[in-house]
Amino acid sequence: MTAALGRFLILASVLVSTTGAIIAYAAGAKRSPEGLRWSQRFAYAFAALMLAATGVMEYALITHDFSVEYVAHVGSTQVPLWVTIVSLWSSLEGSILFWGFILGIYIAATTWINRNDHQEYMPFAIGTWLSCGAFFSFLIAGPANPFLTIANPQLDGPGPNPLLQNHLLMIIHPPMLYLGYVGMTIPFGFAIAALLRGRLGQSFLRPLRASLLLPWVFLTIAIMLGGWWAYEVLGWGGYWAWDPVENASLLPWLTATAALHSAIVMERRGVLKGWTVTLIQASFLLTILGTFMTRSGVFNSVHSFTQSAIGPTILIFLAAVLLFSVALLALRIDSLEAEGKLDSAVSREGMFLVNNLFFVVLTFTVLIGTCFPLIVEAIKGKQMSVGRPYFDAMVVPIGTALLFLLGVGPALPWGKASRKEIQNALLPPLITGAIVLIVGYAMGVRNGWTLLTLLFGGYAAHVTFAQMWLPLRQRLKRGDSFGPALLDAQLRRGRRRFGGYIVHAGAVLVFVAIAVSSTMRTQQEASLTRGQSTTFAGYTVTYIGSEERAEPHRKSTIARFNITKDGKAVTTMEPRMNQYAAMREPVGTPAVYSTIAGDYYISIMNMQGDQAGVLIINMPMVGWIWFSVLMMGAGGLIALIPARRRTYVVVPETAVATGDGAVA
Amino acid sequence: MNRTVLIIGVIIVALVVFVLFAGLGKDPQHIDSPLIGKPAPSFALKAVGTGETVDLATLRGKPVIVNFWATWCGPCYEEHPTLVANARNLPNVQFVGVVFNDTDDKILRFLSERGSAYPNLLDTNGKTAIAYGVGGVPETYFINPAGVVVAKFEGPLSTELLQENLAKALR
Amino acid sequence: MIATLLLLVLMQVKVPDAEQFVGPPQGTPLAGPQLERRTMEISSELRCPVCQGLAIGDSPSLMAANMKAQVREMLSRGYTEQQILSFFEKSYGQFVLLKPKFQGVNTLVWILPVLAMALGFVLVVSKAKKLETAPAAHAATAAPAAEADDDPYLARVREMVEKQ
Repeated sequence: MTAALGRFLILASVLVSTTGAIIAYAAGAKRSPEGLRWSQRFAYAFAALMLAATGVMEYALITHDFSVEYVAHVGSTQVPLWVTIVSLWSSLEGSILFWGFILGIYIAATTWINRNDHQEYMPFAIGTWLSCGAFFSFLIAGPANPFLTIANPQLDGPGPNPLLQNHLLMIIHPPMLYLGYVGMTIPFGFAIAALLRGRLGQSFLRPLRASLLLPWVFLTIAIMLGGWWAYEVLGWGGYWAWDPVENASLLPWLTATAALHSAIVMERRGVLKGWTVTLIQASFLLTILGTFMTRSGVFNSVHSFTQSAIGPTILIFLAAVLLFSVALLALRIDSLEAEGKLDSAVSREGMFLVNNLFFVVLTFTVLIGTCFPLIVEAIKGKQMSVGRPYFDAMVVPIGTALLFLLGVGPALPWGKASRKEIQNALLPPLITGAIVLIVGYAMGVRNGWTLLTLLFGGYAAHVTFAQMWLPLRQRLKRGDSFGPALLDAQLRRGRRRFGGYIVHAGAVLVFVAIAVSSTMRTQQEASLTRGQSTTFAGYTVTYIGSEERAEPHRKSTIARFNITKDGKAVTTMEPRMNQYAAMREPVGTPAVYSTIAGDYYISIMNMQGDQAGVLIINMPMVGWIWFSVLMMGAGGLIALIPARRRTYVVVPETAVATGDGAVA
Repeated sequence: MNRTVLIIGVIIVALVVFVLFAGLGKDPQHIDSPLIGKPAPSFALKAVGTGETVDLATLRGKPVIVNFWATWCGPCYEEHPTLVANARNLPNVQFVGVVFNDTDDKILRFLSERGSAYPNLLDTNGKTAIAYGVGGVPETYFINPAGVVVAKFEGPLSTELLQENLAKALR
Repeated sequence: MIATLLLLVLMQVKVPDAEQFVGPPQGTPLAGPQLERRTMEISSELRCPVCQGLAIGDSPSLMAANMKAQVREMLSRGYTEQQILSFFEKSYGQFVLLKPKFQGVNTLVWILPVLAMALGFVLVVSKAKKLETAPAAHAATAAPAAEADDDPYLARVREMVEKQ
């Protein structure tokens, strides 16, 4: 019964999205306001159907209706309620339904926000979104249908993938990732609309930028959560292995970041319109490629779903969208181009161009590295691997160059500047850079790349901080007194700029924390009998004993270690091995003791009688990565909050007066 | 119409689709063995229980099936009966089990509970497994009478798959 | 009885030795902290066959531990990094090398990004030149006002600004 209702809702959504897309495109072609209103209604209807279908699936999961195939596949009466609820996205079919659900929300919300605005572009945008909606509805209705029924249902199921139950981060990471991935559909729809219209008006840049920034924020946080999860669960003390699926989440992030930057040049100078649109298209296409990588079974990854039949379907969709995007771009790119000009290449605009070059080359490198084994196997029939040593060797130099740009770019003035002005802008931050470098060296940093990161990081931090508070300083200079009114103006008027520099500050910290934590890490393997202790990195680790704990869905072996420093007790650490009924190999959970300086990480390698084999890792600054990425996300959100409509027009004027503008 | 964009774009589309399409349907866990067509790495290991040493070199002249397994491996339990039955039916084929990261008592218990029809050798620190390029267990190598590796099979064998691979060794 | 004993003595246990694959050691034997450091370094370049793309140095699996032990032993006997990598390559193929060899078709994976950077740099410079010398188009800094836009909202805003 429930399953039949679900199937009906999905079929209805196939119908609604297809019809809606056709109506919307027709309305766009005929510039019909009536047609636009109808396409808006279809957009809301699509969202409602997706919401209802997801609701039906959750109902089936919570009531343990094992006649529904998906529930029989991932459900279990033995697991806690929250596990049951989140098992919606624990397996392939449910995750595609969840995708459709988020897509519905995005489409309805964006349609609603712009219901009276941008009438020129909206029909084409809605048409494009609903076309994507039609594809995902089709996936749910056909190749990945979660609402199939089983003739003779069992009384209980195996429960979802144990990795999902193993850690809290696994509950937040997938929704965040989907919010990022699916959200890229929205700017893609806007970009397609601009291409179909053959123009990209100044007023349309605002929704375009905002629709790109929101999924960017989600994707930024999702990538970090994925790394954090790997760090907390996989037990090797790393957070990024250049695994194909990790790369798949990074690729659209890189192009979206490039697009956010080129959009600023587009906004201020009227150039790079075609280029920005291309980057937005690429971001969307890379999310589809990512979906293919995770779900086709072509790539070997911890994060992959098991092999499935939807690979070819997604590949066909990817090919079709690619071809459509390329054709449209070729047809219309010239009508979007160059209304403005650059005054000088050694200016902030010039640096934006270099920034885009670096981001695109980085995307290309990660993409080619990820796909290269496939290419070689396709042409030569030989297996090979491209792994961490390759990516480290290629990405570290480009990343360092980006950090350099992060400092130099915002320091340079817009437009044409005299040699003296340029010198005055570029030289002072060098002092901060040098100080950070010396402090790092004094604390034992010897790796060349890390030292370079410290120098550029200090430089960029100086510039970022100066730029962040520049409007405030200028007001103070003008004679405004320091007080709440002034802070209010700083936060409200220049939100975009302020938010942008918060993102930059977070990025600087991320660069430094990654460099330090990966090159300053030390580790030791030890085998301890009960009562025995070992001293490593200043801490003494004593093995107290182990304990078996049985929970309904898992059995755990917990080892207990006392940690002391200079004879004083610091903490007790309890790494564990969890054995899930449904899984043959145990899943470990390392114990992490975090301080501001860094993490002390213990992971169980094997347990035999009185013996515990452990891996102890000391990683300085690693926790800073999570915190700094959150800061980047927060900066993005600050930049997103719309300024009051009146101030929106006023801000560019003050920006012109001070010769300054937004970063992101 | 911007021809440059069109040409570059179409090339990208063709490349991406070709590469991804070629990748479809293959098993990402599979590792091709470079040993096929090469002489099998030699080893002489002690059999569990009997304590006698089995030297691969002395087994030349008839096909040899080397099966890598362990008692901590789930699919090995599933595969074991097939191997024992076939070893009994095929007296002209030498079956050899190689066990690694395991202990004598666990192996003996496994064999006494589930039957045994051929020598099972204890590998030290998985060195033999590494020399053969073993990925996961169970994994089976087929060696022809001349001592050349002719096939590698990953995962639990069925009788049909065993016969199919053995045929390569008899050719 | 004596015969079997004799047989046992004659037939000593031997595992396949690295020498079968890559010949005698060509470097100096390592020991102590240097041995550990080199073991870690080489372990980060070898792919764990049972894991998903992880290096044996990063993997907690048994197979990876065995392979790491093999690396350590070979280093202590004086094998060079080159020899160790080629030992593993002989049994696992290039699959096991996380850092592709600079050889044959593999050179592309190293060269293409560098080429892309060079080509991109040329493109960026020529684009910047073109934009610099472009005829001064409609004033770009104050673009919103310069553009004829039929957006009703912007029209409203403009009205309000002009009234001020």
